[in-house]
Formats: sequence, C-alpha cells, structure tokens
Amino acid sequence: MKNILKIGWQTLRKPSAYYSLGALVIGGFIAGIIFWGGFNTALEATNTEEFCISCHEMENNVYEELKTTIHFSNRSGVRATCPDCHVPHKWTDKIARKMQASKEVWGMLFGTIDTREKFLAHRRQLAQNEWTRLKANDSLECRNCHNFDYMDFTEQSPRASKQHSTSLASGDKTCIDCHKGIAHELPDMKGVEGWD
Amino acid sequence: MTLNRREFIKANAVAAAAAVAGVSVPVTASNLITSSDMTKLKWDKAPCRFCGTGCSVNVGVMDGKIVATHGDIKSPVNKGLNCVKGYFLSKIMYGKDRLTTPLLRMTNGQYDKNGDFTPISWDKAFDVMAEKAKATLKAKGPTAVGMFGSGQWTVQEGYAAAKLMKAGFRTNNIDPNARHCMASAVGGFMRTFGIDEPMGCYDDIEAADAMVLWGSNMAEMHPILWTRVTDRRLSAPHVKVAVLSTFEHRSTDLADNSMIFTPQTDLAILNFIANYIIQTKRVNKDFVTKHTNFRQGNTDIGYGLRPEHPLEQKAKNNGKTAGGSSEINFKQYAKFVSTYTAEYTSKLSGVPVANLEALAELYADPKIKVTSFWTMGFNQHTRGVWANNLVYNIHLLTGKISTPGNSPFSLTGQPSACGTAREVGTFSHRLPADMVVANPKHRAIAEKIWDLPEGTIPPKPGYHAVLQNRMLKDGKLNFYWVQCNNNMQAAANINEEVYPGYRNPENFIVVSDPYPTVTAQAADLILPTAMWVEKEGVYGNAERRTQAWYQMVEAPQGAKSDLWQLVEFSKRFNIEDVWTEELIAKKPDVRGKTLYDVLYKDAEAGKFPLSEIPDDRLNDESRDFGFYLQKGLFEEYAAFGRGHAHDLAPYERYHQERGLRWPVVDGKETKWRFKEGSDPYVKAGTDFEFYGKPDGRAIIFALPYEPAAESPDEEYDMWLSTGRVLEHWHSGSMTQRVPELYKAMPDALLYMHPDDAKARQMRRGDLVKIVSRRGEVQTRVETRGRNKPPKGLVFMPWFDASRLVNKVTLDATDPLSKETDYKKCAVKVVKV
Amino acid sequence: MNNFKNNLTSLLKKTLVLAVLFSPISAMAVESNEVATLRDQTSIDEQKTPNVIPKVDNKDIKQSRNYPMQPPVIPHSTRNYYINLNNNKCMSCHSRQQTEKSQAPMVSVTHYMDRDGNFLAEISPRRYFCNQCHVTQLDAKPLVENNFIDMHSLMKQKKADEK
Repeated sequence: MKNILKIGWQTLRKPSAYYSLGALVIGGFIAGIIFWGGFNTALEATNTEEFCISCHEMENNVYEELKTTIHFSNRSGVRATCPDCHVPHKWTDKIARKMQASKEVWGMLFGTIDTREKFLAHRRQLAQNEWTRLKANDSLECRNCHNFDYMDFTEQSPRASKQHSTSLASGDKTCIDCHKGIAHELPDMKGVEGWD
Repeated sequence: MTLNRREFIKANAVAAAAAVAGVSVPVTASNLITSSDMTKLKWDKAPCRFCGTGCSVNVGVMDGKIVATHGDIKSPVNKGLNCVKGYFLSKIMYGKDRLTTPLLRMTNGQYDKNGDFTPISWDKAFDVMAEKAKATLKAKGPTAVGMFGSGQWTVQEGYAAAKLMKAGFRTNNIDPNARHCMASAVGGFMRTFGIDEPMGCYDDIEAADAMVLWGSNMAEMHPILWTRVTDRRLSAPHVKVAVLSTFEHRSTDLADNSMIFTPQTDLAILNFIANYIIQTKRVNKDFVTKHTNFRQGNTDIGYGLRPEHPLEQKAKNNGKTAGGSSEINFKQYAKFVSTYTAEYTSKLSGVPVANLEALAELYADPKIKVTSFWTMGFNQHTRGVWANNLVYNIHLLTGKISTPGNSPFSLTGQPSACGTAREVGTFSHRLPADMVVANPKHRAIAEKIWDLPEGTIPPKPGYHAVLQNRMLKDGKLNFYWVQCNNNMQAAANINEEVYPGYRNPENFIVVSDPYPTVTAQAADLILPTAMWVEKEGVYGNAERRTQAWYQMVEAPQGAKSDLWQLVEFSKRFNIEDVWTEELIAKKPDVRGKTLYDVLYKDAEAGKFPLSEIPDDRLNDESRDFGFYLQKGLFEEYAAFGRGHAHDLAPYERYHQERGLRWPVVDGKETKWRFKEGSDPYVKAGTDFEFYGKPDGRAIIFALPYEPAAESPDEEYDMWLSTGRVLEHWHSGSMTQRVPELYKAMPDALLYMHPDDAKARQMRRGDLVKIVSRRGEVQTRVETRGRNKPPKGLVFMPWFDASRLVNKVTLDATDPLSKETDYKKCAVKVVKV
Repeated sequence: MNNFKNNLTSLLKKTLVLAVLFSPISAMAVESNEVATLRDQTSIDEQKTPNVIPKVDNKDIKQSRNYPMQPPVIPHSTRNYYINLNNNKCMSCHSRQQTEKSQAPMVSVTHYMDRDGNFLAEISPRRYFCNQCHVTQLDAKPLVENNFIDMHSLMKQKKADEK
C-alpha cells in the first residue's frame, strides 16, 4: 500500500517522459474546463427552484405562501423563482451567498426549522437576514427585473407613482423598505421601521 | 348649491356686514344647511337584520326614509360596532325590484301552474290561496298542508304562524329554515341537558383564557363577536386562540393553533380530548360525580336519506332507535374513549400530534378558562347532535361550564333562530318553551293557554324541512306557504329533491318575500312583504337576549308584513272549514267563528288596546286589526315560559332595554344558567344544577367516529364544502341588492388549492363545472382568495342566485336532528 | 346586426319587466323567469355562463359615503395585504403616526376607543381586523339598482320645495 502511494507520488513529481508539454497544457486546459464546468453546473443545479423546494422546509412554508402572490402568478406570466430574489446574479456575490448557504445545510441536517412551529419561531430572523441583505445592496435582486429607469409612472396607481417618483427616485428609499411581505407572509413586525 | 370663489367672498362680506350691523341673514347665505328643523334625524334602535350575534343598530330616519344606520353604543353586544353588512343596513330595503303587488301565475285571467306572473290584488290573492288550502284540506286532510318559515321571522310572526298551523289547520307540517342551521344544536342541548340554548353568554369572551373555534369561521360569519374575541386575544397576551376547520380562512389569521382536519374527523378529535383529560388525570372528579351521568349512545344510525337509499338500508339503527342510549359508568366511558389516542386521531384527521395535544391541554389544564364556539361546522353534519354532545363531554369532564369564561357556546346563524325558531317552537315536532307535540302533557298545556279543546293539536310530528321537499315531490304535501326564506337556493340537492316538488302540478306554492328570489321564481303565488323596521317585532339572539323594535318607516305601498299576511289570511277560514265536528263539539262557542277570531282576536293576543301603542309610533298591522297585535302575541307566548325557566319580561321593557337575557326573574336577566348564585332556578346548596334533566345531572355520551355519508372516490375525487361570506347574508337576497356589498363580493367562486388547479390544467378565473352525482354548477376558479382549502377540498359559497351550488350538494341529514350536512359531499371539477 | 337586434329586444323586454314589476298594480303579466332579477332572467334548471372574475378597483379615487357613519370603501387593491397575529399591513399607512409619510387618510378617531368609549394610545384591538368593515370594490355592475336616497339629497329637495 505504502509502495503504491510512493510510486504514484514519484510519478507526479517527475517531469513527464511520455507526454509532450503541449499535450499536457491542452489536457490540463480541457480538464480545467471540465472541472470548472462541473463546478458551475453543480452550482447552477443548486440555483434552481426544484433544488430549493426539495427540502420540505422550503416547499411547505415559503413556497406554499409564494403561490398566491403576484410574483408567482400574474398578467404576463413572468415569474420569479426562489433564486431570482434570493441568490445574487453576479458571480462573486453568488459564491459569497453560497458560502453563507452552507450554514443552511446544517440547519436542514439538524432540523432547525423542520416543523411549521419552528419555522414560525425563526421567521423574524430569517426575514431580517433577507431585508438586511436587500437594504445593503439597494434591492439589487428586485432591480434585476424592476428597473427604475424604465418605469412608466402613468401606468402605475396614483399611490405607487407618487412614492416611486419621490422617495425611490431620490434614493431615500429602496424597494425593500416598502415592499416587505410581498412574496411570503410576514413575521411579527414589532419594531420594524415603518410598521410600528 | 355651489358657490364660485367670487360668490363666496361676496357672501362672506354680506355676513360680516350684517354681523356689524347686528342683523341676521337668512340661512341660505351659507352653503351648509344648519337649521335643526332640516338636519335633525329621528333615531331609534333595532336589532340587526342579519346574523345571530344580535347587534343593536341605531336607525336614522328622515322624511319616512332610512338615511343612516350605525352600531348602537349602548348595546352590550356590539358597543357601537357593526360589520360591513350591518353598516349598510340602510340600503337593504331600497332595491329597485322590491315587490309591491301579489303576483299569480295566470293564463287568460285564470290561475295556471304554467302561466305567467300576473299582478293581482291582495283580496284576489287570498281568495285563490284560501280556495286552494280548503280544497287540499277537504281532499287529503291537514297533513297535505304545510308551511316553511324562518329564524328571521319576528317572535310574533313565528308564534302566529305556529298557532295557525298547529291549532288552526291542525297540522304539524311547519318547520323553519333554522332546521338547516340550528337543529343539531337543539338536539345536542336536549340530549345532554334536557333544555335548549347556551348556559353562558358573550361575557364569557372577556373572561376566557382560551377560545376554541370548532369549524366556525367567526371572522366572517359573526364579525362582531370576532371583534370581541380579537379584543380579548390581543389585549391580554396570555390568551390563546385555537381554530379547527377543514380549510384555512380569515379566522386562521388570529389562531395560535390552526388545525386543518379531514372532514368528519372532528368526532375523533373531540373523543381524543376526552381521552387526554382522562389519561393525564385531570378529570374534575367532584363535579363529574355530583352533576353528571354517563350513557352509551346507539351507533350506525344512517344518514337521513330517503329510506330506500342503500346507506339507510344498511344502517342498523336507522329508525326510532337512532337516538337510543344505555347507562354506563365512568370506567366504561374511559375505556370507550381510550381508542382515541393522539397517534390514531392524528392519522385519521391529518392534524399533527403536537397541535392536538396543545389543543387538549387548553381543556385539560384546570387553570385555563376555556370557551368553545361552533356553528355550522358541527351543526351541518350527519353526526351533528353527536358533535354537540361530544363537545359538552369535555366541558363536563373538567367542570368548565356555566361560569365566566368556561363555556361551551353554540352560536346561531339567524337573527332569531333562538328567539323565534327555538323558543317559540316553530319546528314540526315542537311547541313553545321546549315542549314537544308528541308529549300529551305538553299538548294539554298549550291547549290550555290557547283556550282550545283537548285534542286540537295533532300528536304526530309533522314534516321537517327536508321531508317537506320530499313530500312535495311525492305529491303528499300539496298546499305550501314559504315565508321569510329562500329555500330554492338554500336547500340541498335542488335538482332532485327541491325543484320537482315546487313544480309538481298537484301542488300550490305560495312564497312571501320582499324581493323576487329564486324561491319566488319557482312559486305559483308571490306575496310582497314588508321587512325589518317596516314592522314592529322581537328577535332573540344566541346568548338568550330578547330585543324589540318599533316600526320606523312605512313599507312600500302594497307590501305587507308576514304577520299581517298570516293573521289576515286566517279570516278566510271558518272553524267548520278546518276542525272536525267532534272537536267543535267540545267547545261549541267557536261555532260560526273564523280562525282569526279563535286564534287571535278573542284570544289573549287580542286583549291589548291600540291605546297602548305610543301615539308617535307607526304600527300598520295593529291599526289595521284594531288591537295591539304584537304585544298581545308576545304576552300570550310569554305565558308558556314564565315560571318554567324561560321567563320573559313584560313587553314594554324590551322597548326600553338593549335586550335582556332570559330567564328574566324579578326584573333581572340571567347571565350563566345552571350555576348557583347566577341562575335563580338553581336550588340553594347544589352549586350546579342541570335542571332540564329530572335528576339535575347532565349526560356525558359515549359516541364514536363514524364516516361521512359520501366521501371522495376515484371519479368524484374532491370534498365540497359550502358556506357563507362576510359581505352577504345567507342567500344574498338583501345584500346582493346593496351596490357596495355586491361590488365587494359579486360572484360565488370556487376556492381551490393552486396545486389542485394545476393538476387539472386550470388557473385562476377558468370557467369550470362542479359535478356531483346529483347535478352540476358552473363558476370560476379562485386560487388565491380569502379561503385557502387544502389539496383535495374545494369551497364554494351559496349566496349567489345565479350559481346555485346546492344543485350539487347531497341531502344527507343527521338522523337525530334532520339537519342537512352542507359541508361534505364528493364532487369532481372539470374545465368547461 | 342580428345580435344587436336581439340585444335590443332583450333590453326592451327587461325594461318592460321592470316597469311592470315596479309600478303598483298593473294588468300586465310577466313570464315566470322574468322575475329572476339576480339570475339574469334564467330559469332555475338552466344556468347562464358565469362572467369573468372582475378586477379590483385600484384608482385611488375616494368614493363619497352614503352617510357619515358608513365605513369608507377601499379605493385600492389589497392583494397580499396581511392582517394577522404578526402584523397589520393597513396600519403601515393609515395609522396616525404613518400618515404624514404615506399621505393616506388616518383611521377615524373612533378606532382608538375601547368597548367602554375610553381613548387608548393605540388602535383598539377590537378594530384590528380592518376587513370586517372596509371592503375593496370590484369592477362589477350591480345586477339591481338601489333607490336609497341620502340625507343631503332629501334636505336639498325639501329646501327646493320650500322656495
């Protein structure tokens, strides 16, 4: 056993006697593409709604609640899936978010929110995380679809156009400041700005 | 009057100059009308026309028209609040299609069952009616004559109708639409306590630590009680609210513990709680030993369908034995409920064990004062009486009853389901004050009060609501008068069991209503009716509160109240037309008199002169007949209950008070019955006394879970539940005519889980057909409405006259209460 | 064209029916189904195709009240506005302290009173579920007109009569 390891190690350390440098570079490049692609494919696989709701915690709570909202079913059928709002679209941000998400794997393994009651008990904290993130990135995931520059205020209801043309336009407010609880039910809102 | 800016400045300048000069200018100088002669409204009080909560409403009148309504701040029930329906009461009388003339189906000037509706005079209408009634009586006798009344009748109307039918026509074929609503509650009370109606009152809400809603969506159906529950829950944070239902709805919004159970398994959950109380050793032994008995009820009692139905053929106790029971002891009872473990019940009901145990703990914990509420979830149930019995069990096992906050509370649907249908006894088996026609002593008491010969009242119970429709179809009930309800929309299985009877050529159907309802559409004669504050009356609400109101406005020319119709119609019958010679011989002085003389004018009902009506009050009926009819009927009726634990105050008192809760003894109302100190009928030293039973003990019943009459199968794969919505009262005949209420909820939609819709390639708004073994109805799918059914169940309200969901429902009833189960049948939903 | 004619005939017929039904004692008969005002004159064993689900009125135009005590109807959509144990979405605009920001009408002062008429520092919990009195309006034409006359019109009439 030890010998086999030793031979393997020596083979790796020694310069190649059989393959040309070019072959090695090309091979390495191809392998790199495969690994990289595999990584991204795996990453993207975790970035689909099917993956998200493969856990019953997601399917029975937040996804069930999403079904009756305008982000699920609406006039034009442009639908938001879980990652559209909850995973950053820029690669570096996405990786950072995915690293954070490894914590959620622990949550699933240890059943932190495996019943409705436990989920409800954690809802405020879970929602707060998302509000904080969206506030910090100026509601980036909202703006991926809802681009302020292209809003037609005349098509909006009078209340909406007023708020959008003032507070949102000036940068005083960002989307999440007003649009909390549009896709899922809200937690206890005691102490949340604008609600108390 | 509009002023432009210049005119306004000018007007002000004139006013300023006039003020300096010390002269006043005419009021027209302002754009506001301020003169008190003009702006003064005449305010009066009346109970709300809609649900059984019994809110008091202030009604504002100007120039003989209702111009405003709002919640009565003096009423202990609602303290100034109304729900959206109550706030729009002002408009219910002013629908453009108010009926103002009798309409008879005629061809070439003659009555014709298939003719067109032709306006006729009241005189002609009663001529035709009387002729039809007399012909029927002559040909087939009193059992072929019948009436379908209402928990929306005033007390006086119900009483006058019951007397006309039971003593006048000598038929017990009178039943109220409360049969669809409260009959199981009545059965439950009589079986467990031997006396009808709740022991507690609404004050329980402010005293309770926990409140449990059993299949009741109080947020929509009893909105003002819901404001009290919400007030209690939110202002005292230790209070818990549990909500059990077969689908999520607005009441879920306040629930600490929301439980969605498989239809019919409420019976198992109730038994589980009893078992939990016993297993965790929290039975109140002292209370149980002193105040209860145990009995085992008969099982396998059938489903109240027609006797030839296979389900009835199969049932062991489908007849007279259905209500039977035998004595057992506590040990036997404990063994009986021991099969209802948390795991078994959870599996059956689909409710997680943790939720079940949290619910049971509210009852078991001796420190928690718990109030249970229920309405149609329990009552419209093929085991409705059982469900009522079983909820009393858990309150009796713990002694949590008849004290503030500890209350099993059966709510009512209609404004006078208690006052009129139950207390007056307008059911086919009942007499006033909880008496029944089958009991010779009870008949004798009624005959004595009515001053009628022995044997006037027939001993055999008449046709109940569902049976009336079957008998109309079978041609055994031929003269039929429907007042104050809309049964062609409300009764189950319209296609097979309701419509055929109305259109049966052998039958003559009269429908009295303010508006042309679906039932009126099916009638042969329609009578235009005065409503609500267009007449004087009394209602009784769910907490035994009796409330009276005066007539405040005139009815539209041509419309007459149900009371006037009943009493005026009685003039058309000589006693010889309706009584046998044998009966007349027992009281010869009635010879040559009319039913009007015998039943009303010469009876106690006719004893009070017009002078007792305050001069400034309208009272069309009394001024027409020449005596204070409403007071007379009330006082005559009150004689049944006074001294028998149903005491009512003198009539005038109700015009002053915002209602009083009976029994009213020595001028004082009773809040909690059966408890020493708060109920004057409880003997000193007994602590509690359930005096409806001869030994003063309530009964704890051992009754099992039994399956529903019809459950989903491969073809009809979904449960259908029907019910109401906040904005509409029952069949919508009043509220659909109020534009604001109509626009808030115009159509009855099919509420469905989004996944169920998706699985059938349906989406919100799709046109679908709901199909059962009995019929079909079309409507549109709603996947994101206020009601959120679980997968496998759909909900459709029945208020919509253009989408009759009762074409689909099953007319299975509780064999004990004869009340229909509108909450469970099997349907399939297909795209049109 | 034919369609138009049919519609016109039907309209005329309905007008006639209404005239017959609502004029006191007239000799004219109406076909039995014509009384079915809430059923679009359809016989009981038939059903007209149900109309589509109407849209919620979202124009933010206040509707005048029928009388001062009437709860105002909601002139905007309330889709997914939750009112439950956790929060009350309506109050994030209509509560006293939010109205400056939201420019929404403040809830009536009566809403701060408890059962016994005492003013509280916050909305009374008995008024917590706004949707028990306040409803949105759908774009649906009422099936039957309502002849309710408001007090102002009555007074104006009386003043006019006086002159």
